Amino acid sequence: MADTNEATLSPVAPPPTAGRSRRRSIGVLVVLALAVGALLSQGLLHSLNYFVTVDEALAQKHSLGTQTLRLEGVVAPGTIVRTATGTSFVMTGSGSHRVAVSVNGTPPQLFQANIPVVVVGRFASVSSLHYVGNQIMVKHSSTYIAAHPQRVKAPNGTTR
Amino acid sequence: MKFTQRYLGVATIVTLVATIVLGLWVTPPATQAQGGDLARLLYIHPAIAWVALYVSFGTTTVASALYLWRRTRSMVMDRIAYCAMEVSVVYIILTLITGSIWGRPTWGVWWAWDARLTSTAILLVLALGYLALRRANDDPEIRARRSAVFGILIALNVPVIHYSVLWWKTLHQGPTLLTPGQIAVHGSMLWTMLLSFFAFTFQFFWLLRARYRVEEQATQARGIEQADAIAARQREGA
Repeated sequence: MADTNEATLSPVAPPPTAGRSRRRSIGVLVVLALAVGALLSQGLLHSLNYFVTVDEALAQKHSLGTQTLRLEGVVAPGTIVRTATGTSFVMTGSGSHRVAVSVNGTPPQLFQANIPVVVVGRFASVSSLHYVGNQIMVKHSSTYIAAHPQRVKAPNGTTR
Repeated sequence: MKFTQRYLGVATIVTLVATIVLGLWVTPPATQAQGGDLARLLYIHPAIAWVALYVSFGTTTVASALYLWRRTRSMVMDRIAYCAMEVSVVYIILTLITGSIWGRPTWGVWWAWDARLTSTAILLVLALGYLALRRANDDPEIRARRSAVFGILIALNVPVIHYSVLWWKTLHQGPTLLTPGQIAVHGSMLWTMLLSFFAFTFQFFWLLRARYRVEEQATQARGIEQADAIAARQREGA
């Protein structure tokens, strides 16, 4: 607020709306910063990478210990076994790196051999290569191939 | 202008209907390993995300920059930036919803806090913040200037979203179309997908045009109200 008793050549005080606008703008920016901060802390601040690959996990096995992590690798063909409580399979990294995985619960419908998956869980012990998970996520590729590219639809609706 | 609106409307409806017909009945399902019929979301989600990230945010950024540049400064640019951002919010929400619908059956989860999804959620919050910032400022000139600066600043998140799948390890797949020399979608599925990009782009400009007209009329109405109020005060003084 301008002091009306003081003679001064400085510009007159802006109308009160300008000050209010500024305060409200700052308020919006503060709320926004808090919201973005909350999203970042939830999502990215722990790690910008969503998962650890089998190769990385085995290389840092001692420092990772039995902490919860998201482990990524390819489902080895012929190793999927449906158990009473869930599924077990072998996950491979590049080369000869292999981890035996057992997961509780039903896997997603696209779960199958030879695809990359991310499993939330932890190693059974610091020295063990057995990984106990509670959730499987299928890492989808960006390739889409028609199921039956050779087939055509006849005018009567049947496929040939 | 009515002419543009009408042709944009016709182009939107024709391309959208064609996308739906091709997408649901003419194109084959993907292989079972790729989700079979689920892959038909390919004709919806990437195109909506394209509009949300590049077309609408691009429009806001260009209009904001043109407002800040003295030669092209006008309230028209400010209105375009504002209306594009408002429509953009709709597309960002649709991107998140369609992505979530796709994520549940393919990944097995509705949401994952990976770099792509988190940065897109942040974009939604920033876009809502842009709209809130406009409401916080009463003076049109100040509002236009602050919004333009803020609009350009938050657009910096767009390249982060685009490259997030390449810079970091994400659950979200890599780019399907916007990777030079690597088109990984089969025949008619690819053409339908490309058509969907045109359809949703036309739809965006159609909506933007309609929203702009509403904003223009609201501005005129405010001007009339103001003139009436001044006239009333003058009558009081006489």
